[in-house]
Amino acid sequence: MFPEWLDLLIAFLIGTGFGFALEQAGFSSSRKLAGMFYGYDTTVIKVFFTAAIVALIGSQFLNYFGLLNLNQVYVNEFYTGAAIVGGIIMGAGFIMGGFCPGTGLCALSIGKIDAFVFAAGGLTGAFLFAETYPAIQDLANSNYKGAVKINDSLGMSSGLFTLLLVAAAALMFWVAELAEKRFARPEITNEI
Amino acid sequence: MEMRIKITVVLLLSGLILALLPLSANRSFTVKPEKLISEILDPDVSLTADQVARLIVNEDSTIRLIDLRTPEEFSKLSIPGSVNVPYKDFISSDLYMYMNDMNIRNILYSNDGLISDYALVYARGLGYKNSFAMDGGLDEWIDTVIESKFTGERISARENALYETRTKAANLFIRFNSMPDSLKSAFMIANKFSAKKLDGGCE
Repeated sequence: MFPEWLDLLIAFLIGTGFGFALEQAGFSSSRKLAGMFYGYDTTVIKVFFTAAIVALIGSQFLNYFGLLNLNQVYVNEFYTGAAIVGGIIMGAGFIMGGFCPGTGLCALSIGKIDAFVFAAGGLTGAFLFAETYPAIQDLANSNYKGAVKINDSLGMSSGLFTLLLVAAAALMFWVAELAEKRFARPEITNEI
Repeated sequence: MEMRIKITVVLLLSGLILALLPLSANRSFTVKPEKLISEILDPDVSLTADQVARLIVNEDSTIRLIDLRTPEEFSKLSIPGSVNVPYKDFISSDLYMYMNDMNIRNILYSNDGLISDYALVYARGLGYKNSFAMDGGLDEWIDTVIESKFTGERISARENALYETRTKAANLFIRFNSMPDSLKSAFMIANKFSAKKLDGGCE
């Protein structure tokens, strides 16, 4: 629909805004992200989960009023085996490196040395994945489920699922804040 | 009340509204009737058997053939590499399972090309511009590709290429359909590798 340069420009603007928001919220500090693991700072889960549920609610309303066709939004295909193994590797990398891929690049752009090492590790991982792909191909393609949505496999409407997810998120935020009080450490936002 | 509690309450209320809304809007036709008709009549949305044969012989990875016939018919005879989605299942689904990858062109076929046209109207009506149909269906495919013979004295270069593609597609079709179902998918993968090895060159 749009010319390619406009697509790229929009992507650039959204990406810049995303990077700016991450940076000014202190996400380019690995201490902030490690805090999620140790329970003293749960900003990460609150921010990302809030973003997810806002997008979920917004897209459902847009779909309802005919402004967005959700049937045409790409749904990632689901491979159970690959998702579990990949999730564990990703989680381990996350807590060891102290960054997720997006915040890693954010920290890289402000010149953090640990982020350089993190990005180099990520690229090495991608290289190893590509080189060993024939050996792990069976695992990567195992238990293919197609483009499934959770609400469809649970047999409920997308609206009901949205409500349950928002309720779960609110409950999780409450637990997260309890954890923050229990494992409290000195405030670090200003020094990073 | 704290700001974040207010936001949480707003989000929860929005979730509640969504849970109570009827979601029929999810599957409504988004394309206007006159636009849909002109889209269906556009020659670009239907592919000839020869075009499909060329795509299969070239192992074009941007297409997916969808066989709309019953599972019994499908297991007896099908075009190599196609997936079976019986027509009944096709029109009772909102298609995102099959069609949501816009980089893939989905080519629908049935026995005679009529059912696939119905299915095409449905898919296009839901806004899936990545759906196409094979003209004349499997009948036409067998007539043109499988049972084609060149009759004449001199063959031009263009005809030669056409007949070569047809022969390759026919060989693939016959070998594929003479196998038990359990071997078919393995055959497609093996065929991909052997074809690459034979072609060589600069891939």
